[in-house]
Amino acid sequence: MIEFQNVSVLYPGTTEPALQDVNVTFKRGEFVCVLGKSGAGKSTFIRCINGLQPVSEGSIKWENKSLADMSNKENLEVRQKTGMIFQHFNLIPRMSVVQNILTGLFGYKKSYENLIGLFNSTERQYALEAIQQVELTVEPTRRVENLSGGQKQRVAIARALVQNPKVFLGDEPVASLDPGTAERIFQLLKETHVKRNLVSIINVHDVVLAKKFATRIIALKNGKLVFDGVPEKFDDLMYAEIYNY
Amino acid sequence: MVWFKRSQFFVFLCLIVVIGMCMRITEFDVSKFKDFQNMGDFLSKWFPMNTESLPYLFQESLLTIAIAFLGSLFGLIIGLPLSFLAARNTSNNRLMYGVTRFFLSFMRSVPEFVFGLILLTTLGLGPFPAVIAIVLHNIGVLGKLISELIEAADKGPMEAMRAVGAKKWIGNLFAILPQIWPNVLSQFFYRFEVAIRTSLILGLIGGGGIGQQLFIHFKTFQYQLVSVDVLLIMVMVILVDYIGGKIREKVI
Ligand SMILES: Nc1ncnc2c1ncn2[C@@H]1O[C@H](COP(=O)(O)OP(=O)(O)O)[C@@H](O)[C@H]1O
Ligand SMILES: [Mg+2]
Repeated sequence: MIEFQNVSVLYPGTTEPALQDVNVTFKRGEFVCVLGKSGAGKSTFIRCINGLQPVSEGSIKWENKSLADMSNKENLEVRQKTGMIFQHFNLIPRMSVVQNILTGLFGYKKSYENLIGLFNSTERQYALEAIQQVELTVEPTRRVENLSGGQKQRVAIARALVQNPKVFLGDEPVASLDPGTAERIFQLLKETHVKRNLVSIINVHDVVLAKKFATRIIALKNGKLVFDGVPEKFDDLMYAEIYNY
Repeated sequence: MVWFKRSQFFVFLCLIVVIGMCMRITEFDVSKFKDFQNMGDFLSKWFPMNTESLPYLFQESLLTIAIAFLGSLFGLIIGLPLSFLAARNTSNNRLMYGVTRFFLSFMRSVPEFVFGLILLTTLGLGPFPAVIAIVLHNIGVLGKLISELIEAADKGPMEAMRAVGAKKWIGNLFAILPQIWPNVLSQFFYRFEVAIRTSLILGLIGGGGIGQQLFIHFKTFQYQLVSVDVLLIMVMVILVDYIGGKIREKVI
């Protein structure tokens, strides 16, 4: 359903491409972990998928339609059905848990409704259900900035859930959490993934987590795809190869 | 003298020369204070205060506050959207960015007093041109300040708003405004304070309010009213400072 065809990305002002001739296809139901050391191109890879980062060469196709050929409106629709979570959570400070979660609906609504905060009871219900699904126990009216890292990431996941996503993207979503919390967040991602039958593509630097949860692992090195296969096949040799040991 | 480099001595020397020159052209001369006695005599004429006119002068003070408040608030309301066009990370294109930046710089570089003089010719005397003069200058000042706050904002939330498929302007607004809001309010109250002082000056060119009263009373040697004017002005500035501080505390 998502297809990379000879994708390269060259950032302006650099000589080495951040992604180089990447070909890969993702299908519904796959839980993909992307490995690679820092600077390998993982963030660039993830951000290309929903068009946050335009590609320099090649194309990325959603249901056989290239992102580059889509209208602005179609591009926004792609992002609407793509939930994305980040290393630093990227919540909106000074807004409450439930307000943050409702921003996940922005893509579906008219500008003036978003502007004045016009959400009907069904939409508010979605938000409350999302809070339950991510097992958040804090007051929905609490401001997000003093929550713990794990709680913040749960809010971010809830924000992605109200989008009713078909695809889940994660750019190192557990990199700033302690190992226990990281594993619980991954557990939550995996459960949601299964329940909603999504495509999930998530960057991690923790190989153990990747091997535990992924149905498929891909690895990047210097912007090139150097591994693509089931977790069992990602062995110590491969590990040494991508981390340069 | 390990703390200083030779080049720093040179800078220091230059500074001395510049200070000397500035003192010369400003006729800076502390010995002139030997006539301090005169000042005392003069100030004694201010008392007792003429409290009969207090209600009227109080009204004029309210007019000054109204001029300053509307001037800075409308400046904020117009400057805020412009600041999004004048910030590199939220502007739609380079041209829009450049044009808005230039416009804001221009508005900022024209003092309220000059706007006031120009508006006099079309709007006549009175508080209205004073309000407009303050609005125009504050569009430039607040627009520039806020655009800098926008450029310094954390871009994480912006990225998140792009990722949910929000329209660009809605995403920018929600990602950035909550981040910069306390600072925006701070700047607003500071500009409000400044606007009070400005509207006193605009009283000189017929802008109305307590500033104009002070000017008239001074010119007509009614020093017992001048003292009331000065007192009201001081109370006003302190009050605005205090209330502004309280509101800022609440928001942060
Ligand atoms: N905005 C940018 N401008 C220029 N170079 C960038 C930019 N973002 C990333 N890069 C470069 O692209 C390469 C890949 O970066 P990234 O995708 O962030 O890797 P990773 O997420 O695996 O650490 C790195 O060499 C990085 O320095
Ligand atoms: Mg990264």
